[in-house]
Amino acid sequence: MVAWIGSRTVPLSAAIEQVAKLLATSRCPVFSLDSDIHGCRSLIALAERVGATYDHVNGRDLVHEVALHTDIGGFFATATEVRRRADLIVVGGDLPTAHHDLLLSLAASKPDLSGGGRRRWFQINGKAASAGGGRPLRLPKAVEVGSPDYPVDAVLGILRASLAARKASAALANADAFLSAMAKARFPVFVCSHLTDVPSLAMLQGMLADINKTQRATALFLPADDDAWGMVLASTWMTGFPPRTGFSTGSPVYDPWLCDVDRMIAQKEADLHLWVSERDEAPPARRGGPPTIALVRGERPVAGAAATIRIGKAGLDHDGVVYASRIGTLRSVAATTPSDLPSVRTIVSHLQHALTGKDMPC
Amino acid sequence: MTPLTFTLRNEPEERLDLSGLTPDRLAGMTPAEIAKLRVGTSRRPVAAGDIFKITGTDASNIVFSGGSGRFDRVGTEMTAGRIRVAGDVGARAGRRMAGGLLKIEGKAGVQAGSSMKNGRIEIDGDAGEGVGGPMAGEIHGMSGGLVIVRGKAGDRAGERMRRGIIALLKGCGDHAGLGMIAGTIVATGRVGRYPGHLMKRGSLLFDLKPAELSPTFVDCGRVEIAFPALFDRYLMEEGILDRPLLGPRPFRFGGDNAVLGKGEIMFARG
Repeated sequence: MVAWIGSRTVPLSAAIEQVAKLLATSRCPVFSLDSDIHGCRSLIALAERVGATYDHVNGRDLVHEVALHTDIGGFFATATEVRRRADLIVVGGDLPTAHHDLLLSLAASKPDLSGGGRRRWFQINGKAASAGGGRPLRLPKAVEVGSPDYPVDAVLGILRASLAARKASAALANADAFLSAMAKARFPVFVCSHLTDVPSLAMLQGMLADINKTQRATALFLPADDDAWGMVLASTWMTGFPPRTGFSTGSPVYDPWLCDVDRMIAQKEADLHLWVSERDEAPPARRGGPPTIALVRGERPVAGAAATIRIGKAGLDHDGVVYASRIGTLRSVAATTPSDLPSVRTIVSHLQHALTGKDMPC
Repeated sequence: MTPLTFTLRNEPEERLDLSGLTPDRLAGMTPAEIAKLRVGTSRRPVAAGDIFKITGTDASNIVFSGGSGRFDRVGTEMTAGRIRVAGDVGARAGRRMAGGLLKIEGKAGVQAGSSMKNGRIEIDGDAGEGVGGPMAGEIHGMSGGLVIVRGKAGDRAGERMRRGIIALLKGCGDHAGLGMIAGTIVATGRVGRYPGHLMKRGSLLFDLKPAELSPTFVDCGRVEIAFPALFDRYLMEEGILDRPLLGPRPFRFGGDNAVLGKGEIMFARG
């Protein structure tokens, strides 16, 4: 049982035909995506075919991480380089729980290319510094720098002013130890995720730019969601832009506000919503929203959806390719419990065929 | 000659890109030609004639009779003339505007006056976030001109602006003047968190001390300099305020010391 129209079980071919019809007649379709690289590539190709706008299902978080790269830019390194070269690691704010193992493995290693095999740790903390999600990571070796009175972005600002020998109107605990360690370090690395907002990331990268005038320093950026970051990479190499991008004019247009799928649905601009999630996430229930097509793993049809098709998950039901921030690039994942559930790419291939009479080029 | 008037027939179903309906671009065109211009942004875009009843002949004086939050990019890149919108507008009104007057009698969406270079924008209602700011991927925001918001403005007003004046008469959201390079932002009423965050130069002028000031701004005390009186006079002559904002001895904070530290925040009352 893999497909439903409404709550009625149908053969997959009938569901494909229905979904293709909805996509072909839609004036302003929007896609919310969450899949592996193959799935994202096929869905972006489908978006181009039907003139849709797409975003990740967690686009609200992803947009800040993308803005760090599109609006600010910065210095970045891979975890491998950090492991071998960093003689000083500064953790900026809380990090997502998914990356705690990476930090702990870094803490257990020694740099063999720098610093005489020694590595110092600092952790920047501030008021309510829990933007990364999950429980806070406490590294036993780390010296905590910060203030309970100021949030992380303000703490970063004070540190940046101190590094440039400019005044600030507040003092931080262990700031002198931090400045002393920075002066001695040969390759300091700041580890960051989506701290709180774009201004915080801008402050951190600005501090790195200041430091790089006299010595080397870089950042290890850890995305909050590796799968979402994989989609960013796939989107960028296919269209030249990260998500939020739309094809309503035929060419890709990147616009984080205009192509915000949640906003488009809330403001009744979208007239069809394709929701794809390889995790067990169902589309959020919306009263009066557009018709929804759901590609999900669940065993039941999504309540209120015009059509639901079951899909498998890469690395579980079928092989796939995902982004891994631990190595800073893509990696293949083999199916751990292979099943007959179709992949996203397979479903999209059927849809492309139903829409054009041709198979997908990729 | 009568103003070229676009009367809204019905609320549009899709967002409209009105960047083509400016005095510069419509000069010399007949109403029939204008009616064929594409303004829709969906897969089956509408034309201007589908949305508006078009009357009048003077393209240097354009009136939108009836507005909508889906009117995007009104007055984009206009260099001269006048546009008046009797209602709301959507995103990026006056984007990269280089001259003329854009008068909005309702609310404006995000990034009004985005990267504008010159001219004047007056918004009678509230404005969304990013007044005068850059679009994604751009380095600089507003580089000249005047934006007056008579309602409340959203977050990040004047982000990375290089020159020009923004006046926000019912307060603004967080991070006003974020990453500001130069220019002036005036705000009366409540100002959100950390105004002037990452600002290098420029002036933020308020009637009250901001509730949350970044610790990388340092108190310079009360100052007796000529600038506040001069600027107060300018604000009143332009009809932006009807009484002095700063007075003769305003409080001054210098910053943002996290960056260059040559900017200032001044306010009349602590």
